[in-house]
Amino acid sequence: MAAIEVDGLTKDYGEVLANDDLTFEVAEGEVFGYLGPNGAGKTTTIRTLMGFQSPTAGSATVLGYDVTDESELIAAKRRIGFLPSNPAFDEQVTGREILDLHASIKGDERREELLSVFDPPIDRKIRAYSTGNVQKLGLVQAFMHDPDLVVMDEPTSGLDPLMQREFNEFVDAEKDDGMTVFLSSHVLSEVRRVCDRVGVLRQGRLVTTERIEALLDRTGKFVRVRVAGDVAAAAFELDGAHDVACSTTDGGSGSDGDGRESPDTAAVTGEPVTECTFTFTGDVNDLLALLAEYSVIDLDVEEAPLEEVFMRFYGDTDA
Amino acid sequence: MLELASYEGRHRVRGTAIATVAIGGFSLMYVVLFPTFAESLGGDIDALLAAYPEPMLKAFGIQTLASMEGFLASELYTFVWMLLLGLYFAYSAAGLIAGDVERERMDMLLSLPVSRTRVILEKFASLAVPLVALNVVVPTVIYAGTVAVDYPVDPVDLFVLHAFSIPYLLVFAGVGLVASVFFDRASLAQRTSLGLLAGLFFAESLLTGTDYEVVGTVSPTRYLDPNAVLIDSEYALLDAAVLAVAAVVLVALAVALFRRKDIE
Repeated sequence: MAAIEVDGLTKDYGEVLANDDLTFEVAEGEVFGYLGPNGAGKTTTIRTLMGFQSPTAGSATVLGYDVTDESELIAAKRRIGFLPSNPAFDEQVTGREILDLHASIKGDERREELLSVFDPPIDRKIRAYSTGNVQKLGLVQAFMHDPDLVVMDEPTSGLDPLMQREFNEFVDAEKDDGMTVFLSSHVLSEVRRVCDRVGVLRQGRLVTTERIEALLDRTGKFVRVRVAGDVAAAAFELDGAHDVACSTTDGGSGSDGDGRESPDTAAVTGEPVTECTFTFTGDVNDLLALLAEYSVIDLDVEEAPLEEVFMRFYGDTDA
Repeated sequence: MLELASYEGRHRVRGTAIATVAIGGFSLMYVVLFPTFAESLGGDIDALLAAYPEPMLKAFGIQTLASMEGFLASELYTFVWMLLLGLYFAYSAAGLIAGDVERERMDMLLSLPVSRTRVILEKFASLAVPLVALNVVVPTVIYAGTVAVDYPVDPVDLFVLHAFSIPYLLVFAGVGLVASVFFDRASLAQRTSLGLLAGLFFAESLLTGTDYEVVGTVSPTRYLDPNAVLIDSEYALLDAAVLAVAAVVLVALAVALFRRKDIE
């Protein structure tokens, strides 16, 4: 039995078709990343899976229970942890009171262990919480009853990089214990380390579901390089480079009339500087070998934005 | 069961304490003032009142101000209890669901293994805290006060009036609850239910004797008459039953709406 089964799920808000005939499965023990740019319809699917709204068409089950049948869904929720995209708690109570309320209804056998990992200030009132602390409290309540399935909407937003790493390690450990995790994100790099498989949503439609490695191989890197000298775009037309664009600035005008220094460090030397940007899906060693031939001033290599990946591989479905 | 009701109820204790002290103190002030008022004006007060237009006297529930019972029925019960306290319950109930939906707390609540029926009923049940506290403390204070100033009211009449006011206040709360499910913003739910109920309160008296008198039949105010209970010891059981049934119907409607609602 799959932990989550979605079949032809559609949610039509009238003015916008938020989910359009979605079909996918999440296997037990799998960490599934539900990816897509903001507004793609990720939250709509999650809200339907949690029974907050009913689908316009299609069906879905969680842990084998029909999400449109309230009594079935209640049985499922005893074994589900949930973290909304924007967790909100009563402002005038302490974190401890919130956890006590949740514990009285769903149990809290793992509360202490989780508090030692995420550590929100539970004796302070929620109104004094930072966004990160609210997120940590949300994570504690999501896992504290030792659920079999955890559904999280943008779980890493609001966490600092250190906490994000803690979160990744935590999810890895839970996966080893057999927990199924369904999490959404609009930032691939934040979830790539924890996901086994991803589904990519765009404008309400599922464009692909595949192993994370396969997707990463195809997404590539966004490269921005600044080299000394006047270099033509053709210089970077190596295998796997796409959309190369270069511009050369004349290094002569080192500072402007206001006396402010130009950020171009090479500019003061009076030499021209070339800035090139491109997406790179080839072998990183080839790129490094090529760059070694130039005097590199600055180099940024980052994950290609999801939106760009979709444009390249799945085409623009607007038309 | 009742974890949500006790959680919500605990957070009503402070507000209830403040409301109870305020209304209890206000009531005591009326009781203590009455002898001075009655003794200085004597029977003239009702002659004075006769000069006022009938609908106005009716709106303020004034039958007689010459007796402690008439004085309390109009000054305290009609105005403070039936209008202001009624609106307080409508306002509180109107915030129950819409407030959580608006602040995005409802998702967290509904992620728990509880039915929507249970969520809304337990939230509504938390209003029992002010309902019980006010209906126990205020009549006790009033009775003790009237005995102390030597104008004692009949404790049975007082008890019956408060017993009848419970379904009355629940109707106000029920209207607020329906609005709370219907609207996604607490302020909108509160404004709508308060406007409607205050309108019905005045419509009942002002429209009496006009072609629009029928509007008054849907006003909860028509089904509770503090003057009849306190002055004449007339207990309109049927009217109280109408209020109780209306309260149940309103809550059932709110539950049905909430069960079908898409939380957005």
